Amino acid sequence: MPDDDLRRTILNMLQGVEHPREKAVDVMYLLQRQYGYLCDEALVVGAELLGMTPLELEELATFYDFIYRRPVGKYVIHVCDGVVCWMHHEDDIFRHLCARLGVRPGETTADGLFTVLPTVCIGDCDKAPAMLVNGRFYGPLTPGRVDEILETLRSGDEERVLCP
Amino acid sequence: MPLKPDFEPVLFKNRRGDRPATFDEYRQGGGYEALLATVGKKSPEEVVRMVTAAGLTGRGGAGFPTGRKWAGVPASAPYPRYVQPNTDEMEPGTFKDRILVNADPHLVIEGIILCAYAVKAQRGIFFIRPSYESDAQLIERELAVARAAGFLGSGILGSDFSFELSVHRSAGRYICGEATAQVNAIQGLRPNPVKAPGAHLTEAGLWGRPTVVNNVETLASVPHILTRGPEWYKSLAATPTGDGTKLYCVSGKVARPGCYELPMGTRLSDIIYEHAGGMLPGGTFKACLPGGASTAFMPETLFDIPMDFPSLKAVGHHLGTASMIVFDKNTCLLAATINIIRFFVRESCGWCTPCREGLPVILDILERIEAGEAGEADVAWLETMTRQLHHAYCAFAPGAAAPIEGLLRHFRDEVMDHLDGRGCPFGAPELADKPGAWHLPKGGRP
Amino acid sequence: MSRKPEEASCRLTIDGREIVVAADTPVIDAAERLGIMIPRFCYHPALGAVGACRMCAVKFLDGPVKGLQMSCMVGARDGMVVSTTNPEAVDFRRQVVEWLMANHPHDCPVCDEGGHCLLQDETISGGHALRRYRGPKRTYRDQDLGPFVAHEMNRCIHCYRCARFYQEVAGGRDYGVLSIARRTYFGRYEGGRLESPFAGNIIDLCPTGTLTDKPSRYRARRWDLERGPSVCLHCSLGCGLTVGARYREVMKLEARLNPEVNGHFICDRGRYGFGYESRPDRPRQPRVDGRETIAGAALAALAEGLKPFEAGKVAMVGGTRSNLETLAALLGLCRDQGWRPPVFFRDARLAGAAESAAAALSGDLVASLADVGRADVILVVCADPLAEAPMLALSLRRAARRGAAVLVLDHRPCDLPCEAERLTFAPQELAGCLSRLAHAALRGRKEAAAYLSSLPLPPDLLPETALALDTWGKRLAEARFPLVVCGTDQAEPTLPALAGGLARLLAGSHDQDRRAGFLPLLPGPNGLAAALAGGGDLEALLADIEDGRATALLVVESDLLSRTPEPERWLAALRKLKLLAVCDHLPSPLLEAAHVVLPSRTVFEAGGHFVNQEGRLQRAMPVFSPGLPMGRTLREGHPPRLFMSCAPGSEPRPAADWLKDLAGLLGAGGRAGDWADLAAAFPGLPGLAAGPAPENGRRCLPETAPGADAPSVAKTGSPDVPPDHLQVLLVERTFGTEELSCRAPLLAASAPEPWVDLAAADAGKAGLAHGAWLLVPLPGGPLRARLRVHQDMAPGLLLLPRDPRLLWQRLAGTGVLVELLRLHAITAEEEPAGEDTTLEAEP
Ligand SMILES: Cc1cc2nc3c(=O)[nH]c(=O)nc-3n(C[C@H](O)[C@H](O)[C@H](O)COP(=O)(O)O)c2cc1C
Ligand code: SF4
Ligand code: FES
Repeated sequence: MPDDDLRRTILNMLQGVEHPREKAVDVMYLLQRQYGYLCDEALVVGAELLGMTPLELEELATFYDFIYRRPVGKYVIHVCDGVVCWMHHEDDIFRHLCARLGVRPGETTADGLFTVLPTVCIGDCDKAPAMLVNGRFYGPLTPGRVDEILETLRSGDEERVLCP
Repeated sequence: MPLKPDFEPVLFKNRRGDRPATFDEYRQGGGYEALLATVGKKSPEEVVRMVTAAGLTGRGGAGFPTGRKWAGVPASAPYPRYVQPNTDEMEPGTFKDRILVNADPHLVIEGIILCAYAVKAQRGIFFIRPSYESDAQLIERELAVARAAGFLGSGILGSDFSFELSVHRSAGRYICGEATAQVNAIQGLRPNPVKAPGAHLTEAGLWGRPTVVNNVETLASVPHILTRGPEWYKSLAATPTGDGTKLYCVSGKVARPGCYELPMGTRLSDIIYEHAGGMLPGGTFKACLPGGASTAFMPETLFDIPMDFPSLKAVGHHLGTASMIVFDKNTCLLAATINIIRFFVRESCGWCTPCREGLPVILDILERIEAGEAGEADVAWLETMTRQLHHAYCAFAPGAAAPIEGLLRHFRDEVMDHLDGRGCPFGAPELADKPGAWHLPKGGRP
Repeated sequence: MSRKPEEASCRLTIDGREIVVAADTPVIDAAERLGIMIPRFCYHPALGAVGACRMCAVKFLDGPVKGLQMSCMVGARDGMVVSTTNPEAVDFRRQVVEWLMANHPHDCPVCDEGGHCLLQDETISGGHALRRYRGPKRTYRDQDLGPFVAHEMNRCIHCYRCARFYQEVAGGRDYGVLSIARRTYFGRYEGGRLESPFAGNIIDLCPTGTLTDKPSRYRARRWDLERGPSVCLHCSLGCGLTVGARYREVMKLEARLNPEVNGHFICDRGRYGFGYESRPDRPRQPRVDGRETIAGAALAALAEGLKPFEAGKVAMVGGTRSNLETLAALLGLCRDQGWRPPVFFRDARLAGAAESAAAALSGDLVASLADVGRADVILVVCADPLAEAPMLALSLRRAARRGAAVLVLDHRPCDLPCEAERLTFAPQELAGCLSRLAHAALRGRKEAAAYLSSLPLPPDLLPETALALDTWGKRLAEARFPLVVCGTDQAEPTLPALAGGLARLLAGSHDQDRRAGFLPLLPGPNGLAAALAGGGDLEALLADIEDGRATALLVVESDLLSRTPEPERWLAALRKLKLLAVCDHLPSPLLEAAHVVLPSRTVFEAGGHFVNQEGRLQRAMPVFSPGLPMGRTLREGHPPRLFMSCAPGSEPRPAADWLKDLAGLLGAGGRAGDWADLAAAFPGLPGLAAGPAPENGRRCLPETAPGADAPSVAKTGSPDVPPDHLQVLLVERTFGTEELSCRAPLLAASAPEPWVDLAAADAGKAGLAHGAWLLVPLPGGPLRARLRVHQDMAPGLLLLPRDPRLLWQRLAGTGVLVELLRLHAITAEEEPAGEDTTLEAEP
């Protein structure tokens, strides 16, 4: 169950809103931050708080790519595979990242720390190839830079912009 | 051709590079003067007239005249009315809105408030993509500052004009940038675009009320138009067909990728060579997408074209978001197209057949060509299907058609070189499709 | 008044042929009127245009719109020149088919849609025969959508019809669109039964084999079916059906378009309420004194048996589920033989309510189901639409979606799939509340004086309730098209007359353009005809039998024993009868008690006419000849090698034929011919004289109702309910209670478990919780059922559904009260309690 604080936060957020559905994405973000991902329980709780049916919320949850309906790691690494990064050999970055972490794209490391997700152009093309972790851009990437970033993330020193 | 010596940046006037301009810095540079000179002093109709006279065209990609859009809100339209500043910016290669918001948040906010004043809107919803979360937080912080200064809220500057502005966080997907899909997204509905015959958002948008959707760059141009006048604004452009200044993004194989504010209509060659530092060492220009992934490849022959909406239109191209993605001679444009079409396949909202089903078929053909498994008949079929994408429901699929059209129009030989077992002459990078995290309904995973 | 622009007509040319249509008619419809069927998938006239499939592309050659456009998305305008055969359009449509087929599994040979599949048709007519796409196909995993709808997502072409119907038209919230792009999925959050009682319509709507009828799966191809138009008998609305039968049994029912009645849709009660016609226990053989015999012998025995009786001692009971032909024959028999007037209704209250509703109806006031969708303020009094006439709920939703305001005055917790204001009152208070509302609506109207003075006094109301009623009264008065719906199942006899009177006065207001409508719900598919015929009621008849005033009884298509709350008393009374004859197709204990049994045909075999609640005469065609379903006659997998001139089990005859032949044997007077006799039997339906019903039926009511302006209202006394007692009311449910459909095996097997309802205040007092198992002490013994507690129902009531799975007949009487505190919850351990308290499933 979501803790009372979260419930209260969500209810506050919906307080006085003319159209609670308007907040559906925000509510899903809050829940997925607490649960790690938008698991079934979170989705059902969210739907109830929003006055929607689970199906109605699932219609939205499955549309978006920043709503995680499957377990993800603490750090979701959104590697840009847009055309600009592609042209800068983002594939090499991918290969390197996946080899370092021992996962395939879309998978989560055994320690639950990292998930690698190919993502559409993240809007950091002037720093291609680029990736987005916890709301922060990293680029231009090189294999060496990727290793450094993984290290800082592992050590937990990295400043977190809110993770969606 | 270098910039005129007297060129002064307008949108990037307060850009610092390292951090956003603060409220005070913005004020010191004349910020919010337009608002002070307008609210309660000019009529909303006067504002619309000035914007119309300035010839401001929308910067979101379609180039629709902004004044005309605002005038489309009927005088008798019901309230509340909404303004929907569009910062979705999911167009590959495009990052100007991020830089703009980050450079001078209050310029954007002031522009939004002025738009609200002009169309008599009560509420603004700043729609922003998830990878710009830090900008969303910046905007929220600065909104509080603007509110404290009395520029937002009820009875702004002692007038009877009240306006609230809040941030709506998106959860991704390119289609959410499309204005009608965005209206659905904000309402908590599935973000499919909506095209009812004869219906306009300016008459019935959010919750059935008049809604004005504008790109934030468009809105940020408004304060200057109001303070310095439409004539001045028009004169900023490099061409008679252009208007004001434009944020050009340059990315790809150039020495200095970035976002540059230049007179609208600056020549492509100047943007690349004067401002973006030319090609990367050793690279030679081959082609560029002039306005993001949903525009067509432009060859070297069009290198000197002035980059404004009408000039590009005249040669069968689109300015789009004016985000130049530059390719060099070593890059396989077919492989680049495959990358782009994968983007469109993945992001299609799934509403209409050409886009949902047609694009994957097109992608399959492209991949076969790249792998040398295709022949001339396949190229002919590809061309037909690409043409037919224009009969999709919204502008998404026609956007996907554009790069293929450019490819077949200007780089046909390169395509043909792949056929009949030859495969990619560039030894294109591995093409394995990445699975991505597909969120599927329970019991319905493919 | 000036014509509104959308009413203007325009002239356009399609494929060289001109047509004049209302401006803005979708071009796809305009073409259809010319007989040009433009291919389509997503477009459906009841759902509107959304331009998703792009299949309906045509070329606009000239006029205000140019180029290749979707004909569903473009409204007709003057001067349009349209070509559906232009090569560009044809090529594009062919390409759309090719795209749609790229991922299709090509499993037509095993697909139930095969043969009536729109995708198949368009693929073939589009000329797509050669596969060019060489990539992998998408595969989906299917969901279990419950007992009625089979799901095969790989066949889906994403036309969005199902989800749009389910959510927009039916208001369902458990089925929709999931995921995105080429993975877009239509389904539920997780597998499970579709909750909407209108879910079955997605089967009809789906243009492919994605959503098919589960019960009839793999049993018949469309071309194998004997098909014919019919009418649904599961309530008084008379929705259009198409019957599909094979091997002497009904395989499936589909909605049949009737624009003024059900439109394109039907409810699941109507769709799955069949199957009673092929029950193994259906009476198929005439019987005399328990011995099977042939038709002639049974009739002769009955005629002989009836002769000794004094005419005044012979009674007939008819049913409102009989066709008009049967009712007419029955009325003729009683009249000609001088027997007692026939009885159609279970008690005096229902008979009174039905008659008062029928009397208030006239052609100038009656509203069709389609009219409900046109009204702007709707008052629903004493009716639970979803339970009593489910399609009415769909129409109310349509109205609400168009902006109509809906008020429901009832004592039950009426669920509605739309926005509606609910005010709850005890049943006996409803007339008073209506009176308050009528006073507010008709204040100052001189012509309303007589009506208003006839109304009962309003009960004591809370100030906010009184205010709400007054507000709604004003709303009705100001409405452009106010509409009053009134039920009869639970209503006091005068209530429908009051409701009808209000509607009539609302119509006749100052504004000439204004209309108003009245829509009563009547008991059964031929309830209106029965009510117009008048007659006695069963309670009185029962007393007469007990007292020996009636000694011979003919029961025609009416199941006395399973519909009465006093079965023991009836059984005892029946034993006193000297002659009991039963003509029916439903199995019932009554048949065991009968001296003569005449098996009748069901509507699927006999067809016949029915007059729905708006006086619309409709015709059901006989679709197949009666006989034991083929499957049941198989011996070791083979049909029996008996050489007979008819199929086994084909003895049932139309009830009307039995009765007419009986009349012949009893020496009836001259006959004016079948239809003339029928028309003569119902003087209240003058339209019958024009002959049998045309395709979509015909209204038969008199144009104006004589003396309906000031209905005479007999004041009724309210029952005395001592404090802390509950009135037990028998109620209908969408599934499981209606006389025919509760015998439908498909519904019986899947209807939700029957529950009883209690108001929250009462449940609180008795300490009973929602969902608890309850033991209700009824005079005939305890009844066990699950409890539902409702905020929005009148206190002082216990609602008990007439569901055969529930021992509701232990009520053993009418007007039964139970002490609130004697209700008690039983614990989970007690759940598998003794036989007398468990649910009793009918075989
Ligand atoms: C698929 C698609 C994506 C779009 N994405 C964006 C976007 O991210 N930002 C934007 O401002 N406009 C986007 N647009 C254009 C908008 O629909 C709309 O025209 C624009 O926001 C209007 O603003 P403007 O008049 O200021 O240009 C998109 C259009 C399409 C068809
Ligand atoms: S072209 Fe069609 S499927 Fe694609 S995004 Fe637009 S509406 Fe959706
Ligand atoms: S029928 Fe017109 S687009 Fe589907």
